[in-house]
Amino acid sequence: MTDLAWLTVAEAAELLRGKQLSPVEYAKALIDRIDRHDGTLNAFLRFTPEIALEDARRAEAEIARGAWRGPLHGVPYGLKDIIDYAGLPTTAHSKILQDNVATADAPVAQKLKAAGGVFMGKLSTHEFAIGGPSFDLPWPPARNPWNRDHFCGGSSSGAGTATAAGFLPAAIGTDTGGSVRNPASMCGVAGMKPTYGLVSRRGVLPLAYSLDHVGPLTRTVRDNALMLDLIAGHDPLDPGSAAHAAGGFTAQLDRGVKGLRIGVIRHFYVRDMEADPEMAAGIEAAVAKLAGLGAEVREIQTAPLGEYLACNRILMTSEAFALHEKWMRERPQDYGALARERLMAGAFVRAADYVNASRLRRKMADAFHALFSGIDVAVTASSMDPPCRIDAPQAIEYTYRRQARAPFNITGGPALSVPVGFSKAGLPLGMQIVGKPFSEAVVYRVAHAYERATAWSERHPSL
Amino acid sequence: MPDDSLTLDEIRRMAAEIGMTRLTDGQLRELLRATRTARARRAALPLASLGPADEPAHVFRLRGEDGR
Repeated sequence: MTDLAWLTVAEAAELLRGKQLSPVEYAKALIDRIDRHDGTLNAFLRFTPEIALEDARRAEAEIARGAWRGPLHGVPYGLKDIIDYAGLPTTAHSKILQDNVATADAPVAQKLKAAGGVFMGKLSTHEFAIGGPSFDLPWPPARNPWNRDHFCGGSSSGAGTATAAGFLPAAIGTDTGGSVRNPASMCGVAGMKPTYGLVSRRGVLPLAYSLDHVGPLTRTVRDNALMLDLIAGHDPLDPGSAAHAAGGFTAQLDRGVKGLRIGVIRHFYVRDMEADPEMAAGIEAAVAKLAGLGAEVREIQTAPLGEYLACNRILMTSEAFALHEKWMRERPQDYGALARERLMAGAFVRAADYVNASRLRRKMADAFHALFSGIDVAVTASSMDPPCRIDAPQAIEYTYRRQARAPFNITGGPALSVPVGFSKAGLPLGMQIVGKPFSEAVVYRVAHAYERATAWSERHPSL
Repeated sequence: MPDDSLTLDEIRRMAAEIGMTRLTDGQLRELLRATRTARARRAALPLASLGPADEPAHVFRLRGEDGR
């Protein structure tokens, strides 16, 4: 049998449904792998093998009596530790919330439980989804499984590390300025920031209310679409939730890209910022591959990257500081230095600047969405650089800002980071595929066609 | 461009005005850097492109007939 560590959700579902694989055997194999390797990778902030085995035994009994619930039944998953799972602390990787035990599941957790998933634990995050990698917190930062000395991205760092390391086939992260797609890019996996409001944010500790998104990280595009199918849907108790039909994200996967119109936002990574040459070459090779598969590729222009980033950061830090002001007054010493400094950037933003950033957001989003009258998806960079060393604060700070993900938290549509190869040093390269709001199915279609035409998702780190 | 004119003493006073009186000197230096960064971001916004009719993205909206 295939090494269980590298089973995809789709492959595992087939084996589990056909009773060729026991959920308990599967869970035990991954528990053993996590036990052996997470001591140096720190993907898990709270590893819960006892819950996993209980979930797995339940799944085994249900499948044995023919009550298969769907593709996640008996399949392990994890949650970024800002998402509530009843009975466990939601710490946000912070001393401030060390004892913050969730009294109810977030709807996302509820949905994954209802789907029969096997919960493996809470995953590392940058503190409060903004400050990391930090070495001055109660838990160490996650590391990159392709090279432990390197940064794994964030803030959904544990989710990226755990999926890339073969600890889990799927994990759920959150994304306010790129925090699903950054670890996806750095760890060589697929990470989706879906349309704003497509997945409930209730029970998820906010970073910035108007920019927060919840999304899956997986090793394949198909798995990503399967996971999004499970967690998407209107939540009347989330004020930002979209009253829009959700699901069917795997429906177009096998239709290829022939005839699809793809716009390349090249100025983000050539003119507005100059991407590392290996990263730029990886993206250009991917664009050429999509053209070779029959897509109609042309270059498009949108607002300069710097304008999107400034807008995102003003909105994000203002909203975040509103949430953190009380703790900043009373317990500033309990934050790690990185989170404290990044959050304090919202302390003295003028109200007029916040409102003007929001006015620009609407204008930029409208203009960006108008581009889709002539294209089906856009592609651009995710990170501008391959992962830097985790112990190099200046490089971390430099590369943290060099990204093209935040524009799509501003515009709100789906943005998927997919691997496009490896640097000469063996570290992952990635790019984004971006759609208009609620066009996840076509984004996945393009990503799946590219993935099938390459072998990046079949390469795994040796731990 | 970063606004370097803001001083540590000024940021200490500004912090005190909003109740952030427990910051150490090191933390005040973080706040100073963060505030300079925030001001540089403000300077990067293309505000001249906005007209009076450009409304914020978060404009209040009453529930409609979709039942939300």
